[in-house]
Amino acid sequence: MRYAMIVFLVVLATACKRGPKPANEVIAVERQQLPASPAEAAWDQTPEHRAALLPQDQVEPRLLTPTTGEVKVRALANGAEIAIRLEWNDDSKSDTPGPARMVDACAIQVPATAGKDLPEPQMGQEGRPVQVTYWRADWQAVVDGRGDTIRDLYPNASIDHYPHEAKSLAPGSDAQKEMALRYSPARALGNIRGGPRTVPVEDLIAAGPGTLSPGPSLGANGKGTHQKDHWSVVIRRKLPDGLSLNQRTHIAFAVWQGSRGETGARKMRTGWIPLVRRSGS
Amino acid sequence: MARVYNWQLGREMSYWYPEARPQRQFAAVFDTNKCIACQTCTLACKTTWTSGKGQEYMLWNNVETKPYGSYPLAYDLKLLEMLNGQAWSGGRYDGETIFESAPAGERVLGWRPEEQDYAYPNVGEDDCANQVDSGAFLTLPHMNWFFYLARICNHCTYPACLASCPRGSIYKRPEDGIVLVDQGRCRGYQECVRGCPYKKVFFNPMTGTSEKCIACFPKIEHGVQPQCFVNCIGKIRLAGWLSRPDEARADNPLDYLVHIRKIALPLFPQFGLEPNVYYIPPIHTPVAFNRQLFGPHAGEAMKAYRNAANDADLAGLLCLFGSTEMMISRFRRTGGMVTGSDGKGVEVVRVPLREPVHVRPAVDAKNQLVRINCP
Repeated sequence: MRYAMIVFLVVLATACKRGPKPANEVIAVERQQLPASPAEAAWDQTPEHRAALLPQDQVEPRLLTPTTGEVKVRALANGAEIAIRLEWNDDSKSDTPGPARMVDACAIQVPATAGKDLPEPQMGQEGRPVQVTYWRADWQAVVDGRGDTIRDLYPNASIDHYPHEAKSLAPGSDAQKEMALRYSPARALGNIRGGPRTVPVEDLIAAGPGTLSPGPSLGANGKGTHQKDHWSVVIRRKLPDGLSLNQRTHIAFAVWQGSRGETGARKMRTGWIPLVRRSGS
Repeated sequence: MARVYNWQLGREMSYWYPEARPQRQFAAVFDTNKCIACQTCTLACKTTWTSGKGQEYMLWNNVETKPYGSYPLAYDLKLLEMLNGQAWSGGRYDGETIFESAPAGERVLGWRPEEQDYAYPNVGEDDCANQVDSGAFLTLPHMNWFFYLARICNHCTYPACLASCPRGSIYKRPEDGIVLVDQGRCRGYQECVRGCPYKKVFFNPMTGTSEKCIACFPKIEHGVQPQCFVNCIGKIRLAGWLSRPDEARADNPLDYLVHIRKIALPLFPQFGLEPNVYYIPPIHTPVAFNRQLFGPHAGEAMKAYRNAANDADLAGLLCLFGSTEMMISRFRRTGGMVTGSDGKGVEVVRVPLREPVHVRPAVDAKNQLVRINCP
């Protein structure tokens, strides 16, 4: 009898450590303070949803060979924001951009407007847009302190001279900044795909494949960390439309493994998954 | 895929978008026989456009020594090996283009160079096609050969970069046919780098977007030729406007060289992009090699070029290469003079077919001195 009691307690303790049983939908548990990083204890008691990933094989360029099998999802929410933690296996950290060097990334997608008629799960459709919050590993590296020089990417790079570093231009002066932007047309246009940034995520909107564009600010933020064989990424953003307490909307996920050459449409993704907000009790 | 007409192939072909030719097409002729690979064009471009962070490795213009030179490494050989069976029947291409041979799930047949492929921008410089045996240089003709191939973006009629971009971030300007990457819209997927067979789109790791030759469009909008043209020491380049073959005009320099005399040929027409930089093929290179690079008419073009000294109109037009900064829309030869005019018919340059030559006697009889050529 004593032996059976010990076994029972061990099983109970193990179950508690693992947290609640897996859920067949994404349950955003109510919590006043939302965690900013993936390692916080607040995630432990949140039900986990394991979302199977499918190759994006709807539009060219397609991904025809499956890579990442699933993404583990946990969610927390309060009256203003939702925090979602995504975890997936990837034993190769890819956070340095370059020619033929793709970077690891993930994204969450929700209908811009909640309703019964869901947009197409593949980037929405005309008249039924989707909101996308996108996290990228190289942006995380920059937010975590990586510098904005070519030597931060290629430590042995040899550079003779940049025009914006001419002696005639005072460092930090408007003239110097203007000269630097002359040779960085994307930055000059405010298309900040690389370089200094304050958050490792961006708010986007789409109404069909190929239409992804900067969207209205959802105050998104995030934090990703890589352990030896997997990524853990938290994405926080404004509460999606229709996600009042005990209400349901939908969510979809996508994951890119840079080491497998995945970028843009070459990705692993899910269809729509129900997303419900529940009280913490 | 749509069906479009590619006159360089002499047939219709498949392309991602329907045929939409610009109102006029920027085009160029490069005379490979005059290039000395001084790389002044490369530096003119580099200094003007790609001196920023993340552009260190980029050469929108490069000059490579054929047969071994290539930038990025083996850009041409890799695709030629991937693209099976490039046979021609006369002027008609029987093989498949990179659009027609696109694998399942892809928009074009392509590949993506890796970092190390950009590490040797002048690999193979001045390397002959074969080993030079001892004493071989003492006999004529020299049996070994190489030549210089200057390359920029071809501003193709059917750009593979444009077809590859899943976001429509690349566009071909309707007013002049120049192909540009919208730096406000590009998300750096590098699909264009993979798709372009000439590898003339480059990923910038500092801006996170892909960048390419813009044909110096701010200059072209003012009727001035691009930087790599006007800085060319060897005067090998001529920029202008190319008509469709059925609308070719004999007084349009580009039409005359490409459509009428057929002396200037596209680079790798078999890829199917209808590139708009045309090459006068090197006349000391085996014709089989030239045919692989420039298509089935290479032999005739070499023959016509060899005869240029006896061909006043052709020789006259070749004299206009590098003669002016301005774009030349029309040309005319009258006797020993050739003139070029802009789009409004205003003469912008006048050059003689033969420069006047004065031979100074070696001995100054008046002063009883032997002249020397040193200053």
